[in-house]
Amino acid sequence: MPRRKLPRERNRLRRPQRHKDVLHTQGGHRGNAFRCVGCRLEVSPDAPGTAHRNHCPTCLTSLHVDHRVPGDRASGCRGRMEALSLSVRQDGEWMIIHHCLSCGELSANRIAGDDNALALVRLAVRPLRDTTMASRTLLTL
Amino acid sequence: MSNPNNPRSSSHQHTLKVGTFTCAWCGLTVSTFAADGTRRNHCPSCLHSQHVTDHVEGGTSECRARMTPIAIAVLRTGDWMVIHRCVRCDELTSNPVCTDDNQLILMRIAVRPLAQAPFPLEAFGTL
Repeated sequence: MPRRKLPRERNRLRRPQRHKDVLHTQGGHRGNAFRCVGCRLEVSPDAPGTAHRNHCPTCLTSLHVDHRVPGDRASGCRGRMEALSLSVRQDGEWMIIHHCLSCGELSANRIAGDDNALALVRLAVRPLRDTTMASRTLLTL
Repeated sequence: MSNPNNPRSSSHQHTLKVGTFTCAWCGLTVSTFAADGTRRNHCPSCLHSQHVTDHVEGGTSECRARMTPIAIAVLRTGDWMVIHRCVRCDELTSNPVCTDDNQLILMRIAVRPLAQAPFPLEAFGTL
């Protein structure tokens, strides 16, 4: 099995954000504020810490508009995407995994600086909240 | 299987479920079906998978790259799902966990957000 890098080495290199080369003006869609489908909050696109906001900072709900490339707005689904779980990148960044309620597609997005911390922590402890599965897992260790 | 009059071979439960695949990460040879008869698509030892199904458009995928486990999702029923991400094309899939999956790695993925929190978690202790 290949060896992993030391955590200290891992922290030193921070991955730059993906270059924003997608056509927010050419495709004809609004590259500006959007209204959340979950809580109807008007969300402005400039977020602290990320240039790729795609979910509501309050209820973390997103909309299924991108197809394969993030930001291409090529999907015809437009279903509501609920936050399903959290994953952690190698450099320690949290990512929200969204799950489309109408077609089942998954997508990942980095958290923004103004995302609701309580909603994020509720999402993070969700695997451990159900005690049957978590305690069975711990007992077999 | 071809003779429907034979009751023993017409049932799917009696077909012999053999077949193995080699894990793309740790090289373990894994049987395709778990002990309880469910089909598995990730290695029970390191939980890595291989990108063979295209979930965006359906059908098989020609990517065939390794998929790493990145997150644990919980269904409404309480069952755990492993979310895999393809290292080559970044596609995400979710698969149910098997009973013989490596519990240490499952637990590590489940608690990793809390271990590397971007903000202090002490304030949530009072809630």
